[in-house]
Amino acid sequence: MMNRFIRRIQRFKGWIGAAAALCIFYGLYLGLLDSPPDYYQGEVVRIMYVHVPLAHTALLAYGTLFVGSLWYLWKRDVLVDNMCHAAAGITAAFTILALITGAIWAKPTWNTWWTWDPKLVSFAVLLLIASGYLMLRTFVEDPDKEGRYAAVMAIVGGIDLPIIYFSAEWWRTLHQPLSISMRGVSMSGDILLPLAIMSLGLNLLFIYMLMIRTQMLYLTNLLEAKKGRLLSHAHLSHTSS
Amino acid sequence: MWTKGKKTSLILSLVLVAGALGYLALGNFGENLVYFVTPSEVRAFSPEQSQKKIRVAGMVVKKSIKTQADPVGLTFELTDGEATIPVVFQGIPPDLFKEGQGAVAEGHWQADKVFHSKMIMAKHSEDYMPIEMKRAGIKLPKKDFMKTLSP
Amino acid sequence: MTGFYLRWAGVIVIVGILALLTSQHYEKHLSSVSPDMVVTGNDSKTTLRVQGMVKSGSLTGNPEDGHAAFELLGASNSLKVQYEGPPPENLRELKTLILIGQWDAENKLFQARETALVTNYGYVASAYIVALLALIAFVFSMSRNVTFLYQEIKESKIYEPELGP
Repeated sequence: MMNRFIRRIQRFKGWIGAAAALCIFYGLYLGLLDSPPDYYQGEVVRIMYVHVPLAHTALLAYGTLFVGSLWYLWKRDVLVDNMCHAAAGITAAFTILALITGAIWAKPTWNTWWTWDPKLVSFAVLLLIASGYLMLRTFVEDPDKEGRYAAVMAIVGGIDLPIIYFSAEWWRTLHQPLSISMRGVSMSGDILLPLAIMSLGLNLLFIYMLMIRTQMLYLTNLLEAKKGRLLSHAHLSHTSS
Repeated sequence: MWTKGKKTSLILSLVLVAGALGYLALGNFGENLVYFVTPSEVRAFSPEQSQKKIRVAGMVVKKSIKTQADPVGLTFELTDGEATIPVVFQGIPPDLFKEGQGAVAEGHWQADKVFHSKMIMAKHSEDYMPIEMKRAGIKLPKKDFMKTLSP
Repeated sequence: MTGFYLRWAGVIVIVGILALLTSQHYEKHLSSVSPDMVVTGNDSKTTLRVQGMVKSGSLTGNPEDGHAAFELLGASNSLKVQYEGPPPENLRELKTLILIGQWDAENKLFQARETALVTNYGYVASAYIVALLALIAFVFSMSRNVTFLYQEIKESKIYEPELGP
């Protein structure tokens, strides 16, 4: 029998996807049409409504990978391993997009596409860690070893998360300090709203993507196990339970 | 299971990640990675340090910008609250370069005690609001700019 | 499978409508003309948005009180400008900006009453297009993959309980 959890995902993922789409469309409307330009940056501030949520979602995706890896080492659940693998792919996608939109925002505001600023460097390192993780998973063939090695690597790489988040507070960077912090919220309401809606939308989209990608990896493994290409005891025991 | 090609690729991916983490550990945690220096530090420079191309960050002193038509450029002063240095810039400054806002200048601190630069970047603060609010004199909470220079 | 493609067609249509609305909004409220076009015109009624660079050494008056005079450079012509309005947030020499006001054809003077920053809509549009298209393509390919996998599994009857070797 197919895993109960996978079937439950198949039943509920549509709702999450619809909610994500609604939030993103409303966020786009607010961000592109309804919100005012910033006093200092003008219209370019609108790039923030897509760049910052993308970057935050990349951190959320890696956070999921980090927690999932701990969970996998503890319980050794194949489905959790598939979820970690899925989260790593999504982390890479969101990180690339955050870097690209960040470069596009940086040119008109800072006057440079890229600079060796601690926040940029630590964010690029996140992309390296995520792609290294994905490579590791491709090259190790024993599924049990693959899961264990990958989980350990993801946990060690987790050190990058606080570095990225607080780098603009800890070190000298071209980045502005955090807008939402212990100091309070240094954004007016009509600029905060599209940012919050887009963040919510992309976070929901991440959950939706995680569901689909976990399903995808699980089903691929299941098919391969069935076809006998890969003799995964774990998967076979899952299918027989 | 462990063919030769796979093993090399595996080692390669591990090296990649180890390198990334090593960079974080040694580069960022150490004192090595200093994105910019402040005007006070530039003032205290020894002659050897003046040879290197550096970035200086500070606030553009109000009423200090003076433009030149030929060659196109401008002069202004950068301050960190304690020391102030004069900057000579050649070229057209970025649109968001502004008096009373942060700027990072890339160039050389020369023997004439003037910073010569051909590249400036604008360093903006973390507050965002429409122009109407700004004109109404509303101030949003933000970190003191001088403190962002040397946290 | 039809339902799957229909849903995605819906997503594409909504994205298209939003893109259209945004570009219309931009054309209507935020597009600007160059100083060269203003100088040759005689229309003094319509409010214009002119984009150009403040000429080096031409700024006089007191921008902080909202009074200033300067020249705005275009590709080949420059425009004499009189600014009267709220203190402009950033008016300085060698800056490219947008002036909102009327052209006084008799005195060959542009009467500006407001400034705005260069819109840079190309940057905004490219950031959104890159991010949205990439996300849509990523989700689409994964969803299609899952749909195919389910079909394949159904065909290979993997639903039936099966024991290991």
